[in-house]
Amino acid sequence: MIEFLNPVLFGGLAAVSAPLIIHLLHRRKVQRVDWGAMRFLVEMLARSRRRLWLNEILLLLVRALLITCIALAMVRPALRRNAAVAGAHGIVRQGRTAAVLLVDDSLSTAAGRAQPAFDSMKKLGLSYLDSLAPGDEVSVLLMSRLGRESNDPLFDLESVKTVLGNLNPTTVATDIPALLEAGLNQLKRHINPGAELVVLTDGRKDGWHETDKARWDALRESLRGPKNAAVGTRPRPRIILLSPTLAGIDDNVAVTGLAMDRTLVCAGQSVGIRVTLANFGQRANREVTVQVSVDGHAAGSRSVEIPAAGRQELAFPYVFEKAGSHGIEAALLNHQDLLAGDDRRFLSVQVESKLPVLLVEGEGAGGLGAKLGFLSAALQPDAGNASVFQVTRVPATQLSGSLLQDYRVVVLGDVPMLEPGILDALERFVVGGGGVLVGLGPNANLGLINRYWARNGDGFLPCPLQNVATPTKPAIPTATQPGHPVFSGFGSRTDEAWANAKVKSYARLAPLAARAAELDVLLKLDSGDALVVERRRGLGLVAMVTTSLNADWSDLPLQAAYVPLMRGLVGHLGSYVMPSRNLLPGEPMIYARVQAPVKLMSGEDPRGRPLKLEVGAWEGREAIVSDPLMEPGLYALKDPRESLPIRFAVSPDPAESGMSLMTERDMLQAFDSGASVIHDSETVAENLDPNRRQSVELWKWLVLGAVGLMLLEAWMTRRETVPGGAATG
Amino acid sequence: MVQREVLERLSHLSVTARQAVESVLAGQHRSVRRGLSVEFAGHREYQAGDDLRHLDWLVYARSDRYDIRQYEEETKLRATIILDISGSMGFGSGKSSKLEYARALTAALGLLMIRQSDAVGLVTCDTQVREFIPPGSTMGHYLNLLAALEKTAPGAETSLSAALDEIAARLTRRGLVILITDGFDHPEAFLKSLQFLRFRKQEVRLFQVLDPQERHFPFHGMIEFVGLEREPRMKLDGDRIRERYRRTFAAHQARIQAGCHAAGVQLETCWTDEELFTVLLRILSLR
Repeated sequence: MIEFLNPVLFGGLAAVSAPLIIHLLHRRKVQRVDWGAMRFLVEMLARSRRRLWLNEILLLLVRALLITCIALAMVRPALRRNAAVAGAHGIVRQGRTAAVLLVDDSLSTAAGRAQPAFDSMKKLGLSYLDSLAPGDEVSVLLMSRLGRESNDPLFDLESVKTVLGNLNPTTVATDIPALLEAGLNQLKRHINPGAELVVLTDGRKDGWHETDKARWDALRESLRGPKNAAVGTRPRPRIILLSPTLAGIDDNVAVTGLAMDRTLVCAGQSVGIRVTLANFGQRANREVTVQVSVDGHAAGSRSVEIPAAGRQELAFPYVFEKAGSHGIEAALLNHQDLLAGDDRRFLSVQVESKLPVLLVEGEGAGGLGAKLGFLSAALQPDAGNASVFQVTRVPATQLSGSLLQDYRVVVLGDVPMLEPGILDALERFVVGGGGVLVGLGPNANLGLINRYWARNGDGFLPCPLQNVATPTKPAIPTATQPGHPVFSGFGSRTDEAWANAKVKSYARLAPLAARAAELDVLLKLDSGDALVVERRRGLGLVAMVTTSLNADWSDLPLQAAYVPLMRGLVGHLGSYVMPSRNLLPGEPMIYARVQAPVKLMSGEDPRGRPLKLEVGAWEGREAIVSDPLMEPGLYALKDPRESLPIRFAVSPDPAESGMSLMTERDMLQAFDSGASVIHDSETVAENLDPNRRQSVELWKWLVLGAVGLMLLEAWMTRRETVPGGAATG
Repeated sequence: MVQREVLERLSHLSVTARQAVESVLAGQHRSVRRGLSVEFAGHREYQAGDDLRHLDWLVYARSDRYDIRQYEEETKLRATIILDISGSMGFGSGKSSKLEYARALTAALGLLMIRQSDAVGLVTCDTQVREFIPPGSTMGHYLNLLAALEKTAPGAETSLSAALDEIAARLTRRGLVILITDGFDHPEAFLKSLQFLRFRKQEVRLFQVLDPQERHFPFHGMIEFVGLEREPRMKLDGDRIRERYRRTFAAHQARIQAGCHAAGVQLETCWTDEELFTVLLRILSLR
């Protein structure tokens, strides 16, 4: 493989045209002579015109070749003895280097048999730093610190080596595109002209997010920089992937899921704690024992065999005695595999004593035939105290703002209009953490609803409505988000649940381009229109069913799926906790339901150590905010208003448990072959360290060639012009 | 002897010729005359058709051989100067062109022969005979020759062989033919014509007039060569073709020399940068 150590002088090759230009100019400067002995010229040319032309061309070629040799020698071509670096571009630095070391210190980098993958990555990184020269500048960006302010580049390479040497794996999830985006931003803080983004990665496939094509396309475009930008410059940094060769790291069993079997968990009610276990090993079945603890107390344990590359889901029944915030832990007991960080998982659960629900009906109140009769029956079938839902039904005319404060969820059933004061109270109710479910019907006035409830996306309604559709053939619902908590009561058969349902009329949503990303469609009709949508507003949540909640516009209430859907939906609205208390490593703890003075709040980390808390802001309101929480576990925040501490759970991203690796080809394809992949320190040194570069520079041979050509040119010229030579013209 | 009034009437050409001739005669007078007045020349074997009056009966009586006695011509020498006036003779890099030099040489030779009471004629030709003045020995005839020389100008392309063959056919009596040319003709045809002249009992002397540039080819860079005989123009790099040209020229000269030697033609090469009298001196010393 040929590389060029001084490619900026490639322009010198233009000098190849000099002999031709001189030749042409020479031919244009003609002196005229009246000549008598033309006979000899004619005779001479008749004999050797072809040879003269050939000699002239040969001489021209020799001269052009001579200049080519000199120009190429200045470009300093070097013949690489090996091609250990995969990638389209050779690694030849020009001038001082600005390097951004992007370190993937995610959970998976701790995996390894003899030593963690992270140690191999650090070794590669240190080799890379050895290849830099004084004057080069380096930034180190960590996956675990993305989103936080980064440091200025360092010129002291020894300090950078110390920083790199002291790094350890964390529990965050890998996001290679995010790391590269941060690297591009960091390059703006560098001053050296040569630019390199060096990714230190364990090469695990999940962290590359290959399926997110739009994101990769945008990233590749940013990395390519402007058209004609040279590789290795700041507009188009060189991408170097330092990925150690990792073999046999597929022995891993992880707790990949921990959830409740329902959205609304009430005290005294038996609920199921679902634990999902996965065996990422490809060869052997693994028998493991999983133990579930609630608030630090064992709640059950079970042994199970998980097939190779298989999953197992276990359910542990449990009854929460007290309402409030609880922390659950699922852990593998006495288990050893290559990655210990994913052997435990944590969950924060808000347990309610009862969920008070206010049903506001557009017409009348009471009875199954009323607007929310079916819903009331679904939530509180026995009309007694056994149900977790505490339902109150009122006609819309009796609704008042003060009434709302006693309820967690308000349902509007075909309500034609609301007083402005009540509208205002309803908006405050939602933003403060309440849940609202809106059902439409024949009384719905879309004009008024759009004007006062939706307010073009600013009101409490999830989005404006376009029109009421009444298709000739009734539409059928199709579950779109089977994993959503709303559908937890359906098990795995969500698609079949609605097979016989018929929706005769429904309201179409108006386009909401500005806030489209905030809208979550939970259930769609087979016509493509939305049936159930939700949108977060402040601390609360609003859901809308685009048809009626009774049988006016559909036969949904007559379907078996109606009950679990409504209970799931109302329970979801009532138990919705914002900001989330189930966090990924690296996310801060945020508690926004601040009712007591901040100074009375205190927190503890999983080891019982006090947590540093600050008063911050979240969504425009005062909140208690911690530093990013890196250690998986259950954190506690003590709010004097609450009898139980508020539990926050930090669990690793299940994607970190997958051990399948990117191949070298996969990595190159991700960058359209515009990257170099290096697997070992020797190769780093051979390809990057100028003192150990395993290549033969060719300039000496080119100079020798040029000298030889010069002699040849002199001989050819002399042969033409001195006695005893062969004439050429 | 040349009368003064005649010499005074000579043009520049004649002056040049006169100066050269007088310079030569100052030291070479005897030798010039000696070559032109010999009686008995020798014997040769009898051939059919020979005049029996010339049979040497004494030799027959002694050796029983039929030998013929040979005599030098007792009459005046009849010389014909053939001057090549083809276009190539118009080339000159110095103060005079080849044709000017050749005219001066012609005038000088003519004067020499007139002074020795020999008859001299003049023929000018290029591709064909342009002027034919039969030999005469008077000064008036010489003036006619000069007048004819004055009129000459470079003509068409060189093809002397045809003209020489025509001249040879006209020369019925033995004599001396002096051919003044640059010899830029097809060597084979040219030499064949010389042989034909010899066959016609003519003693032939070839004066090849050349310009020094035609030998040295001192041109540099791109040169557009414009032929004087209407050849197509040629753009050539002087430096590159010099040696090849020199070799081609030398080969031509060698061929002419060899051909003349074989045909018994005395060849004298005259360079236009040489003084005319030195050339004459060399010519006469060789006789």
